[in-house]
Amino acid sequence: MAKKQLYWKGEDELLKTKEFLASQKNEFSEALPLDEVFSENNMGLTANRRDFLKFFGFSVAAVSLAACNPTPVRNIVPYLVKPEEVTPGVANYYNSICGACSTACGTTVKTREGRPIKMDGNVLSPISKGGLCATGQASILSLYDTERLDGPILKGSPIEWANLDKTVVEQLTQMSASGAKIALVSGTIHSPSGLALIEEFKAKFTSTTHITYDAISYSGILTANKNSFGKQVIPSYHFDKANVVVSFGADFLGTWISPVEFTKAWSAKRKVEGADKIVKTIQFESNLSTTGSNADYRFPMKSSNEAVYVVALHNELAQKAGIPQIAMAQSGELAGGSIKQAAEALWAEKGTSMVISGSNNPSIQTVVNAINLLLNNYGSTIDLDNHSNQFKGIDSDLYQLSNDMQNGAYSAVLFWNANPVYNTPFASQFVEGIKKARLSVSFSGTADETASLCQYIAPSNHFLESWNDAEPKAGILQLSQPTISPVFKTRQAEESLMSWAAISFDSTTDPFAKKGIYSEKLNAAPFYLYIKKVWASKGVATDDAFNKALHDGGKFDSVAQVSTVPSFAVALNSIVSSLETSIGKKDQIDLILYQNISVKDGQLSNNPWIQETPDPISKVTWDNYVSLPKALAENKGIKNGDLVNVTVGKNSLKAMPVFVQPGQSNMTIGLAVGYGRKGKIGEKGEFDSIGKNAYLFVNTSDFSRNYIVNGVTIEKIDGAYELAQTQTHHSIEGRAIVKETTFGEYKKDPTAGNNQPQPHLYTLWETKDYKKDGAPNHHWAMSIDLNACTGCSACVVSCSIENNVPVVGRAEVRRRREMHWIRIDRYFAFEDKKGLVDKNNSQFEGAFITKEKGLAIADEKAVGSQFEHWENVKVVHQPMMCQHCGQAPCETVCPVLATTHSTEGLNQMTYNRCIGTKYCANNCPYKVRRFNWFRYNDNDKFDFHFNNDLGKMVINPDVTVRTRGVMEKCSMCVQNIQAGKVKAKREKRALTDGEVKTACQKACPANAIVFGDVNDPNSEVHKLFKNERSYRVLEELNTQTAVKYLTKVRDIQNNNA
Amino acid sequence: MVNHPSKKILRIKTIIISIVLLLNLSIFAQDGALSPAAAEGETLFKANCVSCHAMNSKQVGPALQGVHTRRTEEWMLKWIKNNEKFRASGDKDAIAIYNEYGGAAMNSFENLSDDQIKSIITYFKEWTPPAPKVAAGGEAAAETTSFYSNNTLYILLFLIIVLVILLYVLNKTKRTLKSTVAEVEEPSEEKASAPSEFQEKIAYYKKRINPTIFKMAVGTVVLGGLAAYGFYFGVTEVGVQQGYAPEQPIKYSHKLHAGELAIDCKYCHSTAEYSKQASVPSVNTCMNCHKGVQLRDKYNGEISPEIKKIYTAMDYDPDKPAGEQYGPNPKPIRWVRIHNLPDHAFFNHSMHVSTGVSCQTCHGPIQEMEVVQQYSTLQMGWCINCHRERNVDVENNPYYEKLHAKIKAEKDDKSSNYGKYFTKDGKINIKPADNGALECSKCHY
Repeated sequence: MAKKQLYWKGEDELLKTKEFLASQKNEFSEALPLDEVFSENNMGLTANRRDFLKFFGFSVAAVSLAACNPTPVRNIVPYLVKPEEVTPGVANYYNSICGACSTACGTTVKTREGRPIKMDGNVLSPISKGGLCATGQASILSLYDTERLDGPILKGSPIEWANLDKTVVEQLTQMSASGAKIALVSGTIHSPSGLALIEEFKAKFTSTTHITYDAISYSGILTANKNSFGKQVIPSYHFDKANVVVSFGADFLGTWISPVEFTKAWSAKRKVEGADKIVKTIQFESNLSTTGSNADYRFPMKSSNEAVYVVALHNELAQKAGIPQIAMAQSGELAGGSIKQAAEALWAEKGTSMVISGSNNPSIQTVVNAINLLLNNYGSTIDLDNHSNQFKGIDSDLYQLSNDMQNGAYSAVLFWNANPVYNTPFASQFVEGIKKARLSVSFSGTADETASLCQYIAPSNHFLESWNDAEPKAGILQLSQPTISPVFKTRQAEESLMSWAAISFDSTTDPFAKKGIYSEKLNAAPFYLYIKKVWASKGVATDDAFNKALHDGGKFDSVAQVSTVPSFAVALNSIVSSLETSIGKKDQIDLILYQNISVKDGQLSNNPWIQETPDPISKVTWDNYVSLPKALAENKGIKNGDLVNVTVGKNSLKAMPVFVQPGQSNMTIGLAVGYGRKGKIGEKGEFDSIGKNAYLFVNTSDFSRNYIVNGVTIEKIDGAYELAQTQTHHSIEGRAIVKETTFGEYKKDPTAGNNQPQPHLYTLWETKDYKKDGAPNHHWAMSIDLNACTGCSACVVSCSIENNVPVVGRAEVRRRREMHWIRIDRYFAFEDKKGLVDKNNSQFEGAFITKEKGLAIADEKAVGSQFEHWENVKVVHQPMMCQHCGQAPCETVCPVLATTHSTEGLNQMTYNRCIGTKYCANNCPYKVRRFNWFRYNDNDKFDFHFNNDLGKMVINPDVTVRTRGVMEKCSMCVQNIQAGKVKAKREKRALTDGEVKTACQKACPANAIVFGDVNDPNSEVHKLFKNERSYRVLEELNTQTAVKYLTKVRDIQNNNA
Repeated sequence: MVNHPSKKILRIKTIIISIVLLLNLSIFAQDGALSPAAAEGETLFKANCVSCHAMNSKQVGPALQGVHTRRTEEWMLKWIKNNEKFRASGDKDAIAIYNEYGGAAMNSFENLSDDQIKSIITYFKEWTPPAPKVAAGGEAAAETTSFYSNNTLYILLFLIIVLVILLYVLNKTKRTLKSTVAEVEEPSEEKASAPSEFQEKIAYYKKRINPTIFKMAVGTVVLGGLAAYGFYFGVTEVGVQQGYAPEQPIKYSHKLHAGELAIDCKYCHSTAEYSKQASVPSVNTCMNCHKGVQLRDKYNGEISPEIKKIYTAMDYDPDKPAGEQYGPNPKPIRWVRIHNLPDHAFFNHSMHVSTGVSCQTCHGPIQEMEVVQQYSTLQMGWCINCHRERNVDVENNPYYEKLHAKIKAEKDDKSSNYGKYFTKDGKINIKPADNGALECSKCHY
């Protein structure tokens, strides 16, 4: 069955376009420029013998001269007084909070010699449970960002903190006295100390108003819950308790509210071993999102039609429950039979199901609340009592603020973690308002779009330099501590507010206040003392208790409140008119604004790691683009690489690149927000920034911000633009390398999908001893669960940070020269939806499609066709890295023995031996070897963090920085293996399972990657290798890989069995 | 390939010297055999006392040679246990010695039992000054530095050869010019003198051998020789800084501290036990002793200029009252790094120190170096040789439990790859090299 399946990576591969076939002929994207080198007009060597001798002589002379150079004198500058806990060569770990977004995942920060170099999830934190997303991983580099301000600014020129404080306090005092209004505009703050501080600030300057808004608004859920239940909160969603999840456009595995937390819970519930039920996931959406790509059933939906879908689902369930339906004339199309079937699945799991929506429309969210109430989901899978605080901004507040700003109602405005000129559709109002305000201050660490308009910038610290606390969910208190002294003369915003509101502490009474050894005593940070005061009122009164919380990263032992079933207070028929207005016109195209999984809201958009991370679905890097459905593209005659103008009303973006996205639903286009920041790392010339800012399209009718915009026009223009895409690189030639089955099949036979007869295995080589059970040495191995991997790409970023993988930039990605050691292959397959519609069966059917049928669909070229198959694609994500073959093809072809095998099963890459023949890459069946075409450090052509002293501080000192001309690849984090072994040997004990972890494994929010010693019969990886689902990719080559995959299991019915 | 007999001899010498040194090391602190009690005392003394005391010179505390003749055992017991209490009890001698050392209180050692203290006192009694150093040590230092003098020799030789060639060419030119001038002045006139036998022979060969080919052959041999030498030198020696002994900002003497005062290496290089790096100690480590040790008696009442550099680094003024001695302008010391491994080689001190590799194995007779120099080549071959020679202690480290079990289980199995490590005398003889220590990713990643 699985054999018949047709998988493909991209349209051009499926259609076998001429360009694609040509590009696949060569191992590398371009021929080597030999002609250029040897040509006459370019310092050619063919010129004549004399020239050759000249060059030869010159090189010999140059080399001899270079060899005569005395070794440069290197210095060692030891500490004057060594801090007790800092030992050169030994890493320290501190638990803290990730500050990349207001989700506030707990994180463990690794520091070396006082420099933070890596962030992982804090395993103790109930939010992240040890996972951390790609954005959070990458946010550490913002600490070493050359664009950070090195001190306070007054109208573009540096100023002293004392002067800034003096004038700001004077003005604030005077305004407060005269009643002139002061606005404190911030992102969501759920720090108990921060909120207490704002109250004190407001008490001191009485005319202050605090306005909260989020770049990506969840105002719809908040307002709906206020109307429905009288609680303006986002509830806690427990995906680990749900058996069925129906989501309308909520990308909860990628970007929605708290994706790491949700992925942890969801993937725990996807474990098939011994499970009676796994969480069946049904997704209705327009863009193919990460969640959609992992859903068991995905139904394309025109998002402006969401109200129709949601009401239909409600009515379907209401009918079953025998309660009144919503009286709404249903206009619009539903994906055939989908709602009915979703309703049946939900009804079968009453009380253990969940319906969510990504819409920011309060009426739609109200209907969703009604559905969940009807299904008895409150109190079990949805919890309003232990609610989330992660996003609290209400759109009407922002709308009011923008109007007030424009009218000059505020005399002073302070922006704290807020950049409304960039990330709201009210940019012009804010620009005007800032000009009208007598005092404008931004706490931004960089001169961002808003800050650069303000009179004062009082730059705040990076979160790794700051004290902080957080309460992301009611009852979960987290603590953040500085892991480095401020790099620049910055001051965290809380301390600025404390200083202005004249809140001070006597630090000498604190036993843990830092005291210098010199005559001058260094005082403890004021905000640290403030937090201690606030925490004392929360039951953390003693120094011991506080220090334990500091050690753990928070106080996690509080007992959760009992989750109750709320009472519903909305007459559903009263919102019908509001629902009806939300429905878009059928013949007009929807624009869906979404967040890219690594760029998210764009706050860290200038971070090269984030930009080089491929989108999990399109595999595009370094740009945002218009994601077009096949039908629209064919009908309008647009193809990949074309440019279009996108217009909504009077707003338009010119010359946007186009990407034809399988899975994009018809009559919708997708466009990512978070791009178009002004920064240094965009390529100059072609674009002055990375991508374009799509926030201007946000729909602001109803005083709210809606990310689904009906009525967009696209117009093809002349010109072409090549997106830097990793998609079709490293094609695997249509071999069956992913295996999948259905949950029903799996329950009957755990080997389902993985029970093909063993291929005949031939070998030329001796079988190595270390592979046997009971062999005395370790055999390092990895197991990857395809059923858990969501494609979120946290592992890609984590690996790059741990292993000093260089960023190569847009131009080099286009040449297929990205350096990522781990990539996530994404395969598409067509879904047989037609069968589903025709049979009008109540069971879900037709998820698998045969190869013959697939090829027939691919040939479909009818003009006017709806290309339905192109919007119904299934996706498999497969992380791919060096497989550490026991019989490695790369090892046998290296002429200089630069890649060899260790007795512990590792395929070792020795950079200093490599001469760059690239034979190994040619011979690698998995295409996981990466060649350093250039020196990526200290090279102005690659002006990323490897090219400046500040950015280099993030380099992992335990891994070589590679130079030009050598091959590299996944080492299974051998530096961690060595460190673990040395520690065990030194402590005279055996190495325990789980002690050594790879970077990808640590980052994975889905626990899909397990690494360990397969020779240890008690290790987790040993057990997983014996699992019935376990298989090797390209087993028939007898490479005997040390990486095994576990079959993907979808919770669907199968009509091909 | 050009051979270096001198270098070979040098290497053999070095090995012999190393052996002599190692033998020497084990006994260098104490020449005579000690009684068991005194031996225990020595251990305790080294663990607890040497950071402030030496036997034969005044350090932070007084020299302890013959202290048993100056004080009673009872007095010493009380003083060592808790000198503060002892002073409080009003003992005059105790107060006097406290004042003599400027009010610097000695630590209390309540953790030592009476018997232990008595064993230390026994050690004092049995202690004899070490015999003068064997000359071999000094010779070793000289030998290893001789690499650079050898180099100079080669350069000199080369220059001499060039000079000789130059002289020959000049001479020949002179003669040619002379004969030309002679020919011009008096047109050719056959010389009558008969050729000698030797000249005849030369003439014979000259006729037989094409002069161009002859020159080319000679040239090729010379050039080839030079090239081979250059290749050998280039491949094996470039970047090797054996003998590198740069001048340091402070003339810190390991000979004095590690040798004469016998301060344990790990007192200063404490991180060697648990970190990759052995680490140059932070300056406050120096201050532990040098707050007191100022060597004013040697410098006419002034502080020793080298010790003064430590004070400058810390901005420390000993003349100020306690609490105000540290100023606000410290200047960290920029030591010159001697051992430079390439960036792609990762060496871990803790792994080696914990398996009992002595510091001297790699760093040489550091306790005799006035100025520290790089003793070993630090080349990969040098690393690997050691990994081929030392034993892995599989019996006493549970990390190797599985390996140990397998070797024992398969000791009689001829086909086993592991049984062979079980030697006839019932011991296990397995080298790091047999257990993967030569693999690339041990050190390169």
